Amino acid sequence: MNLYNRISVFRAEHGVSRRQLAEAVGVNNQTIGYLERGDYKPSLELALKIARYFGVAVEMLFSLERFESIAMTLKRAGEGE
Amino acid sequence: MKSIIDTFLSKLDNSVRWTGIATGAADQMSGNSSGEPKYRLFRWMPIWSIVLSCAVFVIFLIWPPVLDRISLGAFIAVLVSFICPIVCMVPIMYAEGPLGKSSYKDDEREATLRKDSFLFCFGLLTWLNCLGQPTLMILSHFQNWQTSHSLSVAASAFVLNAILFGCLPTLYASWKLRQMSKE
Repeated sequence: MNLYNRISVFRAEHGVSRRQLAEAVGVNNQTIGYLERGDYKPSLELALKIARYFGVAVEMLFSLERFESIAMTLKRAGEGE
Repeated sequence: MKSIIDTFLSKLDNSVRWTGIATGAADQMSGNSSGEPKYRLFRWMPIWSIVLSCAVFVIFLIWPPVLDRISLGAFIAVLVSFICPIVCMVPIMYAEGPLGKSSYKDDEREATLRKDSFLFCFGLLTWLNCLGQPTLMILSHFQNWQTSHSLSVAASAFVLNAILFGCLPTLYASWKLRQMSKE
């Protein structure tokens, strides 16, 4: 089963490098790269640490279903206004 | 004579540089070290070691006349002296990677990779030995192997096991570890 994440989106939004995030959650920065690429599924502890670092719920970062594209989210938000 | 020694020593120097250990040590001592281990994929040396030991095993399994030309002691000495350095080089040359690194430095992904590598190795070796040992016993019975033939096959099988144990985890980890682009 695939585990999708949008760590790279949150990282870009917060202007955080892989190394900074890695140091904050206590892993090697390559591990963040493998996580972003979907090559590694994190432990619950690591997922919670990353979510806490960005100050969001873990479901915002990780999902079993593919995340909606940013364009679609913006479009929906625009229609709502 | 001096030039020969110089050449030999410079070749030794080059071989040390080739392992990447010297560069890594200099990086660590420079004070500008990133603190992160530099990973390198390490596939060909384990593959060649495994292929070589498989070839030796097969040769001594199906071509016993080779044994008539060299004594068993010489064969074992040559085999050990030729293959052991290769086995020893694997963890040393991979010192910068997941399997050569001290486990206390592992993060959870590396610990998982290390565990998976050894599980794969142990699983494969178990199956190979479960199938191989009865097969060899049956072969030796029906082909009436001489003692020297049995001993040489046993010795080469032992070396093959040692090589697989030394190389398979490194090979597996290198295969699983795709190169990560720099940010």
